[in-house]
Amino acid sequence: MASLRQPTLRLLASSNIRRVASPTIFNTTRSLATLAEGEVAQKKQPLIKKFSIYRWSPDEPTKKPQMQEYSLDLNECGPMVLDALIKIKNEMDPTLTFRRSCREGICGSCAMNIEGTNTLACLSRINRDASSTSRIYPLPHMYVVKDLVPDLTNFYKQYKSIQPYLQSKEPAPNGKEFLQSKEDRKKLDGLYECILCACCSTSCPSYWWNQEEYLGPAVLMQAYRWLADSRDGKSGQRKDMLDNSMSLYRCHTIMNCARTCPKGLNPGLAIAKIKMMMVQSA
Amino acid sequence: MSRHTGLQREVLSLYRSCLRAVYRKPIDSRTHFKSFVAREFRKHATEVDRKDFDTVEFLLRKGKRQLEVYGDPNIKRMTTAAG
Amino acid sequence: MASTLRSSAAARRIFAAAKPTTSAIRLLPQTRVAAFHASQRNQILPPGPQVVHGTVNDPVPVPTPSASHGSYHWAFERIIALGMIPLTVAPFAAGTANPALDAALGTALVLHSHIGFDACVTDYFPKRQYAKTRALMVWLLRASTITAAVGLFSIQTNDVGLTEAIKRFWRA
Repeated sequence: MASLRQPTLRLLASSNIRRVASPTIFNTTRSLATLAEGEVAQKKQPLIKKFSIYRWSPDEPTKKPQMQEYSLDLNECGPMVLDALIKIKNEMDPTLTFRRSCREGICGSCAMNIEGTNTLACLSRINRDASSTSRIYPLPHMYVVKDLVPDLTNFYKQYKSIQPYLQSKEPAPNGKEFLQSKEDRKKLDGLYECILCACCSTSCPSYWWNQEEYLGPAVLMQAYRWLADSRDGKSGQRKDMLDNSMSLYRCHTIMNCARTCPKGLNPGLAIAKIKMMMVQSA
Repeated sequence: MSRHTGLQREVLSLYRSCLRAVYRKPIDSRTHFKSFVAREFRKHATEVDRKDFDTVEFLLRKGKRQLEVYGDPNIKRMTTAAG
Repeated sequence: MASTLRSSAAARRIFAAAKPTTSAIRLLPQTRVAAFHASQRNQILPPGPQVVHGTVNDPVPVPTPSASHGSYHWAFERIIALGMIPLTVAPFAAGTANPALDAALGTALVLHSHIGFDACVTDYFPKRQYAKTRALMVWLLRASTITAAVGLFSIQTNDVGLTEAIKRFWRA
């Protein structure tokens, strides 16, 4: 719709410059221009879709969380849920709070629970069935900072605890960089793409129950990413860190993680591979 | 048996650690810190129902975060709008 | 989750005390506000308070490595689970009950269920939140395991044996 409107605006702008002195002529020009546009617009009936969004504000802590309903014309809005949220925030309710950054599924900021599935708002299309209400919640089983913003402190603290960086015993052999064969590099495919949006961890029932001790699928997949790295020299210590009843072995292969991952990765498989690695080294 | 519930004890321990942090501040700015701490606790004690556990837990988390910020030894002064 | 309703009575009290909707919401005719949980909700096990150790920038503490609770435990669990498949099939395939096989199946069964229930207790009764309930559950599980083991032992020694008992029970 925005692209349709652009030529008109340009026309208006140009006519504005040319005919500043004669407002009557300017007006007729505009009505002609909008008539041509109007024919296109008439074909599209407004498609009103309802969005029901979780609201809770820390400024009023005694007030309970609520679901607030917003109605949007989908023909006036971009195709993704994030577009709808931005439109609501811009045009209807500036108090609606959510995280977003890249709008193309690479930053992982806009992770939320949309119609019962943890996913990125920028990667999930709006269901165009106007009869159903689209329900949007923050990531489940996380403390809420405000509205759709979850508190990911514990998640990041857990990520920090696995030491997610290359640790080598000796400096690089050529003094410059650690080289890797193509086969070794292939082992990292499907692991390094993780953007740590926390969709998988917050979909895992085991993580819901033991969030403070179980590391959760996202962090464990990163743990495996460093265990599988041929250049890393501390896999022994890395395995020791996971060798207890809580950190790794609370995974019961429920596989919600693989099902929900907006990037199509498989944390459950990575965890299974860690378990095999632990047995082989023991 | 203790007179206080677990949550009440947590609130009291937070209050004590706030006061401890206040007494590590320079002597001339202590009153500001202390009045801020007292005001926050007093306000929520009157406003929040003590059986509203969710709110109390939220305020506890918030209080711990705030303590983490102003308990930092590099922070020497505090002024609040309310005075 | 940060704020969930605990009882409708509390909710009513709070809604009565709460100010009318904020100005931003009142100004907008297109929006509608609904209570998150309008119906009665009884929580059997309310979530306990979360404890964040250290400051925001500290990593979570790493537990001391213990293979007997970690990798060995996992391997042992899998070995028993896999070993139970032939032990279950063998007596019925052979057609006769062997006391040694019976004893092995009984032992594996008890260990397998103990490990399984133990995982449930670890999952559902976190030590940091429900230390007393956890201890109670652990001892309850141990007592049940011992009872089951004693029962199976008596069937094995004084009665017809495990497989034969199942066979008779099946046909009865």
